[in-house]
Amino acid sequence: MADLGVNGKDISSSPVRSLARRQYSALVLMRFRMLANSVRSVQGAFEFGARGVAFLIYSMMGIGLGFGLGAGAYSLVSSEHFQYLPALFWTVFLVWQVLPIALASFQEQFDLSTLLRFPVSFGSFYLLSIVFGLVDVPAILGGICCIGIWVGVTLARPALFGWMALILAIYAVFNILLGRAVLAWVDKWLAKRKTREIVSALFLLLMLSAQLLNPALHEHRHHRRGGDRAAQSSEQDVIDELPKWTKSVMAVEPWLPPGLAADTVIRAADGEMQLVLLSVAGLCFYILASGAVLGIRLRGEYRGERLSETPAARRRTADDSKWLIDGSGPIAAVLEKELRIIPRSMPLLFAMGAPLLTVLVISTVLRNTNDSGHPFSWAFPLCVCYALLGFTQMIFNNLGSEGTGIQTIFLSPTPIRTVLLAKNLLHGALFCIVAFLAAVFAAFRLGLPDVTLAATTAAWVVFAVPANLAAGNLLSITMPYRLNLGRLSRQRGSQASALVSMLIQLSVIGCGVVVLELSTYFGKGWLAVPCLLVLAAIAGVAWFRVLAHADSLANRNRESLIATLAKTE
Amino acid sequence: MEIAAIQTRGLTRTFGALTAVQDVTFTVASGQFFGFLGPNGAGKSTTIKMLTGLLEPTAGSIEILGKPFTASALDLKRQIGVVPEGMALMGRLTAPEYLRFVGRMYGLERETVNRRTEELLEFMQLADERRKLITDFSHGMQKKLALAAAVIHGPRVLFLDEPFEGVDAIAAGMLKTMLQGMINRGATIFLTSHVLEIVERLCTHVAIIHQGRLVANGSIEDLRAGVASTLPGAENEQRLTLEEIFLSIVGAGGQEVTQELSWLT
Repeated sequence: MADLGVNGKDISSSPVRSLARRQYSALVLMRFRMLANSVRSVQGAFEFGARGVAFLIYSMMGIGLGFGLGAGAYSLVSSEHFQYLPALFWTVFLVWQVLPIALASFQEQFDLSTLLRFPVSFGSFYLLSIVFGLVDVPAILGGICCIGIWVGVTLARPALFGWMALILAIYAVFNILLGRAVLAWVDKWLAKRKTREIVSALFLLLMLSAQLLNPALHEHRHHRRGGDRAAQSSEQDVIDELPKWTKSVMAVEPWLPPGLAADTVIRAADGEMQLVLLSVAGLCFYILASGAVLGIRLRGEYRGERLSETPAARRRTADDSKWLIDGSGPIAAVLEKELRIIPRSMPLLFAMGAPLLTVLVISTVLRNTNDSGHPFSWAFPLCVCYALLGFTQMIFNNLGSEGTGIQTIFLSPTPIRTVLLAKNLLHGALFCIVAFLAAVFAAFRLGLPDVTLAATTAAWVVFAVPANLAAGNLLSITMPYRLNLGRLSRQRGSQASALVSMLIQLSVIGCGVVVLELSTYFGKGWLAVPCLLVLAAIAGVAWFRVLAHADSLANRNRESLIATLAKTE
Repeated sequence: MEIAAIQTRGLTRTFGALTAVQDVTFTVASGQFFGFLGPNGAGKSTTIKMLTGLLEPTAGSIEILGKPFTASALDLKRQIGVVPEGMALMGRLTAPEYLRFVGRMYGLERETVNRRTEELLEFMQLADERRKLITDFSHGMQKKLALAAAVIHGPRVLFLDEPFEGVDAIAAGMLKTMLQGMINRGATIFLTSHVLEIVERLCTHVAIIHQGRLVANGSIEDLRAGVASTLPGAENEQRLTLEEIFLSIVGAGGQEVTQELSWLT
């Protein structure tokens, strides 16, 4: 049957522009209606308010960062230290490229593949995938950072006003395209078991490299310090002393987008227009390359590719019937299910692993910025606390990954409290393992903490686990959101849940800080341990009380739980 | 006196101003294959959700196997199996993993779970797909798996919401045999389906819900006789199919096409 539009006109042969325009306006209207409809319910209104608060927080962060980069740009350009300009562009690059992965699971993102049933042209699909990426947090932060640099450079050199606008606009387009391409490809790789294993192995390799890299650099620093500290090395001396591989990196750096962008500014400041145009052309080449990489991925999606294709069926093996957890009880059943699902879910693996990587970075920074040779007293508990952040989503939305399976739980003769208890036991155990690893990393990088601090940190963990689990169970039942375990990006997410859980995490960390500070202030550091253990006992009671009331609470929220978690994409 | 498998009294459910199910009262005897019919939006799924504890009734009561049924009646939940509207599967598990999970949630012993899992996978022709994640199953395969999960614990009462939707003819035949076998062994099956031929072939009793109200309830023969008596000519009785009975009771609802969709080719 012909695809007929109004007045009998064949839509498929209509100019793409006209149809696309109608589709864009339909999409805008749809998004507006969805937004308007979402505030009809109390939860929706709360979510809307939370998004506003989150937007404000991110904007403040962006303004702070933008102001800092602007001040840096002003200082560098006015003092003609142009050689350090790449650092500013690299900062923007990291904000734009790293944040999307870190925040992917917390942001609500519209899944454009739902539009493929409509006559959407590939061009429109491509354009929409970019446009929808313009309103996310990294884009807002990156944009504000670019504006900061623009203002800073312009104030220092008003003549560069136009060039800076052009360079930063090109740089922003490149970052937007690259960010979208990275997320799209990461989703593709993580969807298949084989590539997921390769990515996981690379992730582990990265962590190990970071472990080995730091001692090498640290050794080098100490070697330098051990020499003549009084004689300040010249810049060239510093470069000469760097390991060989860093020189290779520095040789390549000017050809990478941040280096090229900085080079364009320098050439523009020097008035070398031919070289400026050459650098701009270089940046445009990167735009085309990242656009093409994104295009290849989007073309696959546009053709209806399913990301979650698993390998072809294999004949059964004896191991297929192996149980990971013995026992026929529901706790064993839930534990086994979770243990099988977690290794297949990159968002959860990433959430657990990323803080460990950050702990390595934090401990490295703290070690390298602390010239006294004594570990920074807060470093050890700080690293352990940070490990907790990776569990935010897992603990505070512990039913989110069930999807339609939530009905199985409600239909089974197992009380919800038993299901939550099993999940809590597993999540608590995983957190303790990750916290232990973070502690080991921190101790390895910063040296062993004193016994009191180690005991205080351990006592804080004993307090933090039940406190988080109690609050997590409440939030999981009252403010759930569906979590697609096969994707790192394009999750439904919930700003309200993210904000409330972050607030609770900060309160738990804040309790530890206050107790430790007060006991240190009164000269009785050891007092923090019993104080935190008392808090742990209170948190434990709260956790038991929440579990005891979990069934009645879940039954009261049963309908919204099922509606939220079982709703289709 | 034999205990009824399912008994509802004045079952009502409202969503704000909308009354989805109003004052529904019926009884399903033990061992009955009971069809619950109704047009789209009539309240079938809402009723099944209330009967299985997924939705709380606004008013009225439910008894399953002679005992009051609420969401917290865990002992009764052991006696029922359900294929709900959304199938309630867990996409990131494989079929055997999911069946073992469900079996353990119902408290079955390890050996029983393993044995039944294998038997059900073979029966449902899913044994060769054991390494595949459920999310990659076709709709029909998911349906078969949902059915397998609903019966793994050997329920006495089985609730099936559109169980044959998307299932191929061969599998549908096997499923019918399986369900008939359960009935022969004393189980009760509560079935909703839009495929009235299947309902007619399997069920002995049907109830019809329309706009939230129960408009017919009884054996197919009784309904046939009742409808036939309203039609001119008693000889019509033998020729009435369930579809004709259904349309006669529910009516086209005044939905006769009053104007042609002239733009359709």
